[in-house]
Amino acid sequence: MRYVYLEKSDLDKMIQHLKKEHRVVAPVAKENLFVFADVENAEEITLEYLPTILPPKKYFFPPKQVLGEFTMGETKMSSTTVEVEPTVIFAAHTCDIDGMECLHTVFRNDPVDPYYKKIEKEIAVIGYECMFPCDECATCVTMDTHVPKAGYDAMMTDAGDKFIIHINSKKGDALISNNPIFKEVESGTAKEEIKKLRAAKLKKFDVKLKASYSELPGIFADSYDSDVWEGVGKRCVSCGNCTAVCPTCYCFDMYDEVKLDISGGERKRVWDSCQLEEFAEVAGNENFREERSSRQRHRYYRKFDYPVKKYNKFFCTGCGRCTRACMAEISLVETVNDITKENKNV
Amino acid sequence: MSEDKKKVRIAFFDFACCEGCQLQLTYLNEAFLGVLEHCEIVNFREVISDKSDDYDIAFIEGSITRECDVERLKKIRKNATYIIAYGSCATIGGINGLRRRYTDEEAKEIVYPGREFPLEAGWPRPVHEVVKVDFFLHGCPVNNDEVVLALKSILLGKGYTPPTHAVCVECKLKENVCLFEKGQVCMGPVTRAGCDALCPSWGNTCYGCRGILDNPAEQGQTDLLEKYGYTVDDIKEKFDLYNTCKMEADKNE
Repeated sequence: MRYVYLEKSDLDKMIQHLKKEHRVVAPVAKENLFVFADVENAEEITLEYLPTILPPKKYFFPPKQVLGEFTMGETKMSSTTVEVEPTVIFAAHTCDIDGMECLHTVFRNDPVDPYYKKIEKEIAVIGYECMFPCDECATCVTMDTHVPKAGYDAMMTDAGDKFIIHINSKKGDALISNNPIFKEVESGTAKEEIKKLRAAKLKKFDVKLKASYSELPGIFADSYDSDVWEGVGKRCVSCGNCTAVCPTCYCFDMYDEVKLDISGGERKRVWDSCQLEEFAEVAGNENFREERSSRQRHRYYRKFDYPVKKYNKFFCTGCGRCTRACMAEISLVETVNDITKENKNV
Repeated sequence: MSEDKKKVRIAFFDFACCEGCQLQLTYLNEAFLGVLEHCEIVNFREVISDKSDDYDIAFIEGSITRECDVERLKKIRKNATYIIAYGSCATIGGINGLRRRYTDEEAKEIVYPGREFPLEAGWPRPVHEVVKVDFFLHGCPVNNDEVVLALKSILLGKGYTPPTHAVCVECKLKENVCLFEKGQVCMGPVTRAGCDALCPSWGNTCYGCRGILDNPAEQGQTDLLEKYGYTVDDIKEKFDLYNTCKMEADKNE
C-alpha cells in the first residue's frame, strides 16, 4: 500500500490521534520486564522492549472470557455476549505479529470461533520493527519472524529522527490518515530507505538454532523417541509458564458458572495448559500424558511438527518467552539444538 | 414439599483455629444472601447463637487436636451427609502443625512460659486424618470466590475439586514479575493454586497456605531452588509454616 513518515517528536500526537476512536494498548515497563497495557500517552510506552510477559494474544483470546448465558432447564445458550471496543495494539514486534497469524489460522479456520472472530475484527495492529536482537533466548532469525512480512495493519521502522510507517491494510489506511503529522512519502524512496536500514540490522542478528527452518520438520519427525524429552521432563515443574506466555498456545477449558440463585448462569472459557497434570486426564482415571516428559514433548511437537502438518506453518515464533519464563531453565534453544545434534550424528 | 424443607441445612463447627475463615463468610455480603436462598444455616457460632444437630453439610474449621475434639468430630461425621474441611487448619493442619515440632513440655514452655496450670496441648491433625472428608476448601483464610463456587457446585450435585496445579499458573496470568527473579523465596511453585495468586500479586511471597502440590516434581523443584542459590533445608521454615503435618506424614511414609 503506501508509506508515510512520522517525526519522532510527533509520536504522542500519533497516540492521541489513534485514541480518538480507539483504545490503545502498548508495551509499558513493569519493574524490569514489560507488559502490554492501556496507555494514555506516548510517554508511558517503551518502544525498545524485551518481549512482554504475556503476548498480545491476551487481547484476541482473553485468559478468562464469558462466552454467553444460559437459563436452567433450557438447552439453548444465548448468542455471544462477548463485547469489545475498537482497539489498536501499538508497537507489536514482528514475532508477536506472527503469533497473531498463528491464532488467526486456528480460530478463523473451519469451524470458525465466533467469539474470536468478533474480537479480532475490532483490533488493529501497528507493528514496531526490532532493529536490535533482544537476547539469547530469541530464535526469530531461524523462525523467519525478525523482519516484517505480513499480518499487520501498519508497521513502523525506526529511521533516526523519524519513523517510516508502512500501511498494509484498509484498517491501517483508515488509521494512519487525516492528520498532518503523517507525511506521505513515495513508496520507492521509503522502500529504498528501509532496505538500507534492514541490511544494517540483519548484521546484528545471530542464528542460535543449529537447524535451519527447512531442516526442523525432518528433525522433529525423527526425534519423537529421543532421550532428550526424558531430561526435559525431569527438570520441568509443571508451572505452566511456558504455555501461558507462548504467543501461539491457544488451549482452553470451558465451564459453566451458575448464578447464586441457580436460575441460570454463564459459560466461561479460560486458558488451559498441556503442562498441567490434569490436562489429558479423562474418565476412568486414565491420563494420556501422565509424565512431564510426554507433556513437554507434546508442547514442542505442537510448535514444530503438528501445525506444520495441519496448517503448513510453524507455531514457534522464536520470541523466546518460554525460555525466559521457565522456572526450571528449560531452554528451547538448548532442547532443539540437542535433538538436532542427535539427529545429525546418526 | 414446602420451600423450607428443600433448603440444605448447613452447619459450621470450629476446632483449633482463629475462626477467621468463618468470618470471611460474613464478607460475602450479597453473595451470602444468595446462598441463603438455598441453604439454612443452623450452626454458626460467629453469627448465630442457636444450635442444631440436624444438618446436611458440615463445614469443619480448625485442626483436630484433643481426644474430646476427635469424639466431637466423629459425631458430626455421623450427622452430616457431607463434610467440608474449611481453611488451612482443617485441610492441611496449617499453622497449628508447627506444634508437631515440639514435645508437650516444650510447646507449653514456648507458649505459656513459666505458667503452672494443667494444659492439654493435643496433637494437631487436619480433618481427613481423623474422619473422611468429602470436599476441601483450602487457604488461610479461604478464598471467598472459591467458597461460593464450591458451594454452588456442591448444591448442584457436581461436587468440587480444588486445582491440582501450582500458584505460578495463576501468577503468570497476572503478569507478575517472578519473585524468585527479585531475590525472594516464594512457595508458589510447590503450592496448590486457587487463590488467584493473591499474595504474589500484592508484593508478598506465597506462604504455601493452600498446601503442597499432590505431585510435585522432586528433582525439578530441587533444581529450581538450586538455580536461585537455595536448598530445601534452607527454606525448611517456609515449608513448615503451613505444611508441617504434610511434611511429617511424608517423612513417616
